[in-house]
Amino acid sequence: MTRTTTRTTSRTTARPAPTPAAPDPHAPALEVRGLRRTYGSGDDAFEAVRGIDLTVPRGRIHALLGVNGAGKTSAMEVMEGLSPGSGGQVRVLGLDPVADRAEVRRRTGVLLQRSGFVGDLTVRETLRMWAATVTRARPVEESLEMLDLARVADTRMRALSGGEHRRVDLACALTGHPELVMLDEPTTGLDPESRRAVWALVRRLRTEGATVLLTTHYLEEAEALADHVSIMRAGEVVREGTLAEIVAGHPAEISFRTPADEPALPAGVTASRDGDRTVLRCADLQPALTELLVGARDTGVVLELLQARTATLESVFLELAAAPAHDLEGATR
Amino acid sequence: MSTTVALPDARRTLGLARINWTLMVRNRTTMLYAFLVPLLPLALLFAVGDPEPTSGTAGLGSALLMALLFPGYYNLLSMFVTRRDELVLKRLRTGEVRDVELVASMALPGLSLVLAVLVLMVPIAAAAGFDLPANPVLLLLGTLLAAVTFAALALWTAAWTRTAEAAQLTSGPVMIVALAGFATPAVPDAVARWLELLPGAAVNELVRAGWFGLERGSDEATVGFWQTWLEAAPALGVLVAWTALALWLATRSLRWEPRG
Repeated sequence: MTRTTTRTTSRTTARPAPTPAAPDPHAPALEVRGLRRTYGSGDDAFEAVRGIDLTVPRGRIHALLGVNGAGKTSAMEVMEGLSPGSGGQVRVLGLDPVADRAEVRRRTGVLLQRSGFVGDLTVRETLRMWAATVTRARPVEESLEMLDLARVADTRMRALSGGEHRRVDLACALTGHPELVMLDEPTTGLDPESRRAVWALVRRLRTEGATVLLTTHYLEEAEALADHVSIMRAGEVVREGTLAEIVAGHPAEISFRTPADEPALPAGVTASRDGDRTVLRCADLQPALTELLVGARDTGVVLELLQARTATLESVFLELAAAPAHDLEGATR
Repeated sequence: MSTTVALPDARRTLGLARINWTLMVRNRTTMLYAFLVPLLPLALLFAVGDPEPTSGTAGLGSALLMALLFPGYYNLLSMFVTRRDELVLKRLRTGEVRDVELVASMALPGLSLVLAVLVLMVPIAAAAGFDLPANPVLLLLGTLLAAVTFAALALWTAAWTRTAEAAQLTSGPVMIVALAGFATPAVPDAVARWLELLPGAAVNELVRAGWFGLERGSDEATVGFWQTWLEAAPALGVLVAWTALALWLATRSLRWEPRG
């Protein structure tokens, strides 16, 4: 399928006049209002991003979470200034990514979901090439060190493993000491050890004052890294907030093998059966679990294979992914 | 704010061009084409008995045209298409470098080879007993202009070339158009008048006027230094027109990433 982006005038007309002078230094790192992106036109038109809002204050790690095809990359490309949106507004560090391109690029670092390098260049030559295009470049040796690439510095790019390739890509994204880093699936294809190393690096970026926007379809990545999460589904943001806010209201879960003598169930739980297990859902885990355990001790009931967990992003995510689209309408507001 | 964009584009362009040069030199086939193909016509200079302007134009003109076509046109075309396929262009375009700098950085290595061939032509022609260039300034500026023309044609070709392999076929039209301009002496005048509008004919005319001081349509070396500019003006105009046309076509349809 040939994908061409349709341009409409709504973006340019909706946008305030480009700020000629210094932008607001306190502007959020990223501010997106009603962003839309359509591929194709006429009957073939497909709206990949359907009016999303996003505000990322400085110094925060924000994750766009969603299954493949949720519109994460399509949205990201507009924020990066690589593709025009078909509607809405994007401000990056208070600037317009297209009109103020030079300044935005100087202060941001981008990692594409898929990108390439010249196979005949070594890692060191690749980083040197990238440094030549950057205003305030990190020394190549420092980049090699930072991404643990010193060992392969003189290896040709075509001979690298997927993980090493990705780390070179990351090193390029960070070469210009960016204030805002936009990472599209930074750890996809990495082994668990490399993934943890990238997480540590992303946290270090935040410590040093940078803002990070990343997309991921790994729940544990969002849980491990993000201060704030936007869950995308079919081109819309269906949940947004801190992890605690997102899981709040979702029940915690206690389960155990159903014993011969039913134990007294704590107040305020809903019980159900899942095979030979009893599953209890409750709003507040600790009192419910205490009551259950005290009751079991007093009556001498043994709860085999006991499990208890608070609501996780996973449970929210699976619930959202399973819900029909129209059930989520109210959730965005 | 104007102070923050003071960084000279030249630094980025030359930084990338240096890497592209390294890569071009590493590729033996490219280098072989780059030097061997333009140097072959120069061998003809030694084969003719009498070193007169007509035979000199044929040898030197085709050497220059080969340089413009192979290290110039074809090299940029295949570099652009390969880098686009490999998503290298897409990656670079996420950074500070601007499109015009990216293109310039890929065209510069080929351009420097074209100039190297031009410079080599002087001692080789002299060794074969031919005159030194009548107007070296015109020759140099004309060659630079022609190199820009063929770079623009390379971008236009890249716009509808899907893969690096396909470039071997899609480069055909430009090759033919360039070489057809060389057929002017062999066709009737009515046809020749049209062929003169082709970039290959313009390069030929440039060598006739700039090197041998030949008047248009005559084989007599009668023109002085200043008059060579006037004689070459139509050829320079043809090159400017082709450049404008190719850039206009290229900007309408050039893609920076492979088709999805």
